[in-house]
Amino acid sequence: MDATKLKVVNKPVTKMDALGLACGEPAFTDDMDFNGLLHAKLLWSPHAHARIKKIDVSEALKVPGVKAVLTYKDLPRVPHTTAGQGYPEPSPYDTYTLDNKVRYVGDRVAAVAAETVEAAHEAVLKIKVDYEILPAVLNTFDAMKDGAPVIHDEEDSKNIPDAQHNIAAKFDFEVKNGDWFKEADHIFEHSWTIPYLQHCAIEPHISIAYFDNTGRLVLRTSTQVPFHVRRIVAQALKIPVKNIRVIKPRIGGGFGSKQEVLEDIVAALALKTGKPVKLEYTRKETFISSRTRHPATCRMKAGVKKDGTITDAEMEITLNTGAYGSHALTVMMCSGSHTIPMYRVKNNIRFIGRSVYTNMPVAGAYRGYGATQGFFAWECLMDMMAAKIGMDPVEFRRMNYIKLGEGSPVFKAMGEGREGVEQVITSTGLFEAIKKGVDEIKWAEKKAKYASQTGPIRRGVGVACMMQGSGIPEVDMASATMKMNEDGSFNLLVGAADLGTGSDTILAQIAAEVLGIKADDIIVTSSDTDITPFDVGAYASSTTFISGGAVKKTAERVRDMIIEVGAKILDQKKEDLRLEGGKVVAADGVSCSLSEVANTSLYYYNQHQITASASHFAHTSPPPFQANFADVEVDTGTGKIKILDYVSCVDCGTAINPQLAEGQNDGAVVNGISHTLSEEMEFSSNGTPLNASFRRYKILSAADTPPVRTFIIPTWEPNGPFGAKSVSEIGINGPLPAVANAVYNACGIWLSEAPFTPDKVLAALKKKG
Amino acid sequence: MKNIKYYAFPSTAKEAVALLLNKKYKAMALAGGTLVAKTLPDTVETYLDIRNVPIKGIKLQGGNLVIGAGATFDEIDRSKLCRSWAGGVLSAAAAKCSSQLIRNMATIGGNIARPHSFNIFPVVLLGLDAKVRLAVRSGAKLTDLPGLYAASLGLRPGLDSLITEIIIPAKTRKWRCEFIKLAKTESSWESYIKLFFSLEKKGRAVQSRICVGALSPKPFRALSTEAAIAAGAAPQDCAAAFAAELEAARAGEYRSAAASSLLRRFLEAVK
Amino acid sequence: MNNKNMIEAKKGFFEITLTVNGEPLELAVKNGEFLLDALRRHGWKSVKKGCDTGDCGSCTVLLDGKPVLGCLVPAVTAHGRAVTTIEGLGTVRKPHALQEAFVAAGAVQCGFCIPGMILSSKALLDAVPAPTEAEIRKALDGNLCRCTGYVKQVEAVKNAAKKLAGKRRA
Repeated sequence: MDATKLKVVNKPVTKMDALGLACGEPAFTDDMDFNGLLHAKLLWSPHAHARIKKIDVSEALKVPGVKAVLTYKDLPRVPHTTAGQGYPEPSPYDTYTLDNKVRYVGDRVAAVAAETVEAAHEAVLKIKVDYEILPAVLNTFDAMKDGAPVIHDEEDSKNIPDAQHNIAAKFDFEVKNGDWFKEADHIFEHSWTIPYLQHCAIEPHISIAYFDNTGRLVLRTSTQVPFHVRRIVAQALKIPVKNIRVIKPRIGGGFGSKQEVLEDIVAALALKTGKPVKLEYTRKETFISSRTRHPATCRMKAGVKKDGTITDAEMEITLNTGAYGSHALTVMMCSGSHTIPMYRVKNNIRFIGRSVYTNMPVAGAYRGYGATQGFFAWECLMDMMAAKIGMDPVEFRRMNYIKLGEGSPVFKAMGEGREGVEQVITSTGLFEAIKKGVDEIKWAEKKAKYASQTGPIRRGVGVACMMQGSGIPEVDMASATMKMNEDGSFNLLVGAADLGTGSDTILAQIAAEVLGIKADDIIVTSSDTDITPFDVGAYASSTTFISGGAVKKTAERVRDMIIEVGAKILDQKKEDLRLEGGKVVAADGVSCSLSEVANTSLYYYNQHQITASASHFAHTSPPPFQANFADVEVDTGTGKIKILDYVSCVDCGTAINPQLAEGQNDGAVVNGISHTLSEEMEFSSNGTPLNASFRRYKILSAADTPPVRTFIIPTWEPNGPFGAKSVSEIGINGPLPAVANAVYNACGIWLSEAPFTPDKVLAALKKKG
Repeated sequence: MKNIKYYAFPSTAKEAVALLLNKKYKAMALAGGTLVAKTLPDTVETYLDIRNVPIKGIKLQGGNLVIGAGATFDEIDRSKLCRSWAGGVLSAAAAKCSSQLIRNMATIGGNIARPHSFNIFPVVLLGLDAKVRLAVRSGAKLTDLPGLYAASLGLRPGLDSLITEIIIPAKTRKWRCEFIKLAKTESSWESYIKLFFSLEKKGRAVQSRICVGALSPKPFRALSTEAAIAAGAAPQDCAAAFAAELEAARAGEYRSAAASSLLRRFLEAVK
Repeated sequence: MNNKNMIEAKKGFFEITLTVNGEPLELAVKNGEFLLDALRRHGWKSVKKGCDTGDCGSCTVLLDGKPVLGCLVPAVTAHGRAVTTIEGLGTVRKPHALQEAFVAAGAVQCGFCIPGMILSSKALLDAVPAPTEAEIRKALDGNLCRCTGYVKQVEAVKNAAKKLAGKRRA
């Protein structure tokens, strides 16, 4: 199968919300005014680890305009997780809306709602807290030691495997086919680290809680997971799900940070005051008190034979989950499950994973989801091995990467928080992706040219290959509803959450393809728990594959209903009819318009609304593949790395919308390049963040960004809607290893601590001598 | 900004200074504003917006380059005069200031008014032997850059006086200069180090300016390095002298190593 | 100093006159309020708050034609000046060539940075009708975007420049 016959899918259909956004139409959470809106402010912990001995809010309540001050005394104590994952969440239940203990600088202490931001701020300053300061532990190594401060010493938390050693999650796995490293000619062992990284969605976390005219609580919120928000807020505040409606308007970027359910506190303030309340994080609060990527140390040990066969591979990853274990198990497992199967390992495989509590900011979901951490190690190790056996890194990868029809014991052993599924690769364009990348970057030519360089400026080329998943098999589920209008247009209702990714548009394209109409004949309503059917939300690279599958099934059911009515109108057999160009067309060429079908169904034949719903989940998670290539320049005098060219070739199956798919990949790659060159949260010795601003935590600007070229390599995934796989996350995993490998090619140093700042490069050059 | 009672828009420097000196108003002068507006001290009660004060032009005067204190980074970046002066080093420096949006707002006067390691221009102006003219109670006052930051100046520009223009002496017009902001990324505010190098040969004599910014709020000249250059030392020896001088200024290993290799590169290129 | 050149607070508010998107207005501005907050409070919701520290550019507006950061401009200092927000550039019914170009290039993902990005582009094309890629990247370097990697935004500005040049020739 291929996409050549498709009419709407695989076409650069205009993103349906783009013009309104480009014209500044009020579309985001904060773009609506509410009468009598109260403003929320939180008191954040100034200590990394402390118990609240006494908390006095009497002075805060006296500030004019203050309507409510909440502390842990005012709220039910419900252990839960803020991780917006499928139920039951695989993350430990270790979080309380408010608690009598604080576990990091920036943890919630109390919450205020007031008529103005200024009054709320003043009230926060007037809350008197008497803390018993506890010893803090700021790194995973110390946190796991016997006798380390126990961060979760409460008795009512659940699913913490070893609270005494601050282990929030652990998973070990081994495939053993004989003695370790018995066949290896060379054995390698090295560690790679990734620091605290922030998502930096340009819209900060923001939620408005208000009441509809029946008194139900409505959360208008910048979230990736409306249905999980509804469930977890209901759980945390002990109110019925039926009393909550969650609406996701347009949202200003997510990247995983808004897969986190932090809406409980603004909901609690609204319930307390009976008034609409807005909680908008400042940029600083977003940096410190929303979520981050899990900092990681990934040690890998592998063996290789002289002929290029990888004999054994061991990955030991230790993630710092911070004060709470949001996504602690699943990010850790994905760091192995999305990476180890990339290459065939002949004999033995071992994975040792730990997520460890520290008194540091809370990590969570972040685009790449563990694979970023894992691939940094695995792909750099690949180049180390290739260098030792004298093989070209591209050739070495070609020889070993997972091929069509092949599986891996890892797929079955490691799922997301539980056992995975058995699967084989049912589509791959990696061969073509590598070929395209080699051509575009001029691999051979540059390798030859760069082999004999002199002077302080050195150039090099590097490669990295990656895979990811497409949704979580047998966990993620999405559904859709369609109904037909008199003019032959359709409403499509989906629970899926468009974060700016364009999912509303590509889901419309899928429906339009099935129904033989144009995408703009589909009116999409998404992400409203009162109106749209269930969808787990936008994460795990699932929307195209899972929600797309649901929309395709729904549209097929609608198509069958249309054909039934069309058969009556045209007096033809159903099996002779098809939908094309907005009409029901018979084999002999007679036709009737969809509008006639709609009117007939509504007013004449067996009067009924043509409407259908369908749900979709999957038994496999077909990986998209990528080959990335970097051409870099290293100034050996200053340590500055300049990326001259970056080529990213992506196999995402059929790109439902190639233009939007390219955009997804461009963004992911540049985010990865930003991780590579500059990003890192810095902390003082007591765990206080030092650079919680865009001024000091530097993400790349247009001027900083090197040329990035995305190429889509078309393949056909038989399990995906119109051959599609996922595209949104995979690209972020490439830059760290591709650039590290290019720097090795340029000047012979291995960089293994992200980001590769000039001081680290110069230190490495000096060490090499 | 919460205690502001008046916003004033004077149209001359004299008027502005009179207002600054009037105790009733507790005024502070701002041009581009940028960060200062965000962190205005609570003691300030009058926001003195000097945008109507005619101190914006960039012109040649008596062979000198005269830049009005109200000229924005963007205007300096685009100015033909600045682009042609001393190899365009002023424009190059202006373009290295954080972002276009800041460059559209921030002025050279604001950038040099208070010493700060973020500042771009002081290191360049120090190297170009620039003079700064201030409007003061008694009329005008002229100082060089070190003088502007010296306690002996006895003035607090913006609070009791106004920087009106920056005068770049005619002798620097053809100087061979380089400005370098060594930072994590191009548009970083923070930098590891800011450097200004210039070199001019007059017959056998070599005169240089080697200036260092961002290590401390005030930039400084690396005088022993300049001396080594004047003495005709080889580039690698000048670089070694510079590294030692930077180490002494507590620049740390990385900055010293990187900056000295940049100096060496500059000196080799000039040769 | 004559009174014409001075505005005094009255009950915590300053009365200023300015034009917003060409329309002359009198606005009551709160003491301590920045242009970003004043504009949003009066209904110009296209001006976004991404950081409130002058580092992200989502609050970009044109002040007398120059792109500036709404979060760093004290609202009162807009007195007597012309403010342009994206609403003043074009509308869904009648978009500006830049807005069309951003849409056509697929440069709008979440859209939060886009009003600011387009206003910066507008000022660039007003000053430099046929900019190079480096000039475009420099002009947009204050408008942070985390979604797109800037690839399609740079492409959009190039396309708009061509289109506008065509219009001028016609």
